[in-house]
Amino acid sequence: MSITENRQDDDDEDVICLDEEIETGHSKLTILHPPNERIVPPLNFCPVERYLYRSGQPSNVNFPFLLNLKLKTIIWLANEEPQDALLEFCDEHNIQLQFAAINPDGGEDDNPWDGLTEHSIRNALQSIVNSENYPLLVCCGMGRHRTGTVVGCLRRLMGWNLASVSEEYRRFTGSRGGRILVELLIEAFDIKSVEIDREKAPNWLLTALS
Amino acid sequence: MDRFKGRPKHRSKMDSNEVEKNAYLDNELALMDKLGMESKLVTDDLDTLLDNDKDLLIRVEELKAQFHDRAKTPFSTEEDADDIYDADEHGARSQQIISARSDAGNKEVIPPENFSHVCGEIYRSSFPRPENFTFLRDRLKLKSILVLIPEEYPAENMSFMEETGIELFQVGMSGNKEPFVNIPSDLLTKALEVVLNPANHPILIHCNRGKHRTGCLVGCIRKLQNWSLTMIFDEYRRFAFPKVRALDQQFIELYDDTGIIKLATENNWLSVEW
Repeated sequence: MSITENRQDDDDEDVICLDEEIETGHSKLTILHPPNERIVPPLNFCPVERYLYRSGQPSNVNFPFLLNLKLKTIIWLANEEPQDALLEFCDEHNIQLQFAAINPDGGEDDNPWDGLTEHSIRNALQSIVNSENYPLLVCCGMGRHRTGTVVGCLRRLMGWNLASVSEEYRRFTGSRGGRILVELLIEAFDIKSVEIDREKAPNWLLTALS
Repeated sequence: MDRFKGRPKHRSKMDSNEVEKNAYLDNELALMDKLGMESKLVTDDLDTLLDNDKDLLIRVEELKAQFHDRAKTPFSTEEDADDIYDADEHGARSQQIISARSDAGNKEVIPPENFSHVCGEIYRSSFPRPENFTFLRDRLKLKSILVLIPEEYPAENMSFMEETGIELFQVGMSGNKEPFVNIPSDLLTKALEVVLNPANHPILIHCNRGKHRTGCLVGCIRKLQNWSLTMIFDEYRRFAFPKVRALDQQFIELYDDTGIIKLATENNWLSVEW
């Protein structure tokens, strides 16, 4: 029994490797055409709240899908630039691309495996609590840990209990599971440090705060 | 179990009579094992033995009764325990959590397990418990709930819905459990008809764990949104983890959506809103 289970895990890993290669920049696998008449959401795509979405880094194959969402803003949770194709796509469709830098002083040395800082989480949340930026997509390389951190802090801001926040975070972390450090960061994040302008806050947030 | 090693078990090739006979024999051997007897005895010997020993006969009958009771419970073979709604467990756990929380005077909300936004004003989750009611009422402001289990809805959930005026739709289906239990396509179409109708929004879809039946339904919504099957399966697996069923994925792929597309187009429900 345990042998079969291991096999399954390995299969999972194969699927993930393809994308992890993209994240670490070893190779870029480009799929130019979606299957006939079908649209392809980005990896780990999911709606978070109305007109707020999360995902991994979108690539060419996902652009027809993204057009459906009529995005106004994309928050990119990394220091390094995303693929050129995404930059061009945002340019072409007037989508504002925000860089919530992981470490503003890190420069080229920024390690994609480093987590977010309180400062960068707050930056991202500051955009999320403003409905002028909507429809809005929050994304990082794989849509797992950095995106999960920001969404987790948002859930805390909305008054979710921590167990539910953790469950949601781990749903997107794949076969290697969640990182304790990410969860500690979410738990410790000072939600009062996010300034919310009630005039501009999305409806679901107002409901949560009332 | 080591002592039964020598016995061949070619279940798949036997007809039903043989299966029954062998199951009986298995029971007898297990009985003897329980009684600390040597398993090389065959059934005839046991009968002779029992005729001569009334105490032993009573013990054997008791054990037999236990075995047969256990065989009768649906948990053992019929369906995955996850798919079956357990009213006692449902109530007991909630009581505990609610009393613990009212002590703490906590203002946090508790979404149901496996909760997520699907699209528009459609949500999915596992079976909501009383501790989730505040979330459903104050945050989601639900108008209706679609439940996909065939069992009766629990009283505490019913009274919550009456208080808040949430409408209940029930499309009872048993999960896609191998080998032969299938969700019929027309049931799914019926469920989609409820879900897609904006008059019912905001709506929450749930089954027991929010994994399999709910996953199938959401998969079919994604089909209507023209998602590629690969990404539909990916989403299905994310929510079904670690109990992914190939049969569910197959069901999503094979589901014939012409009926629901026709109906939804007539009612102007397409495309499904984000």
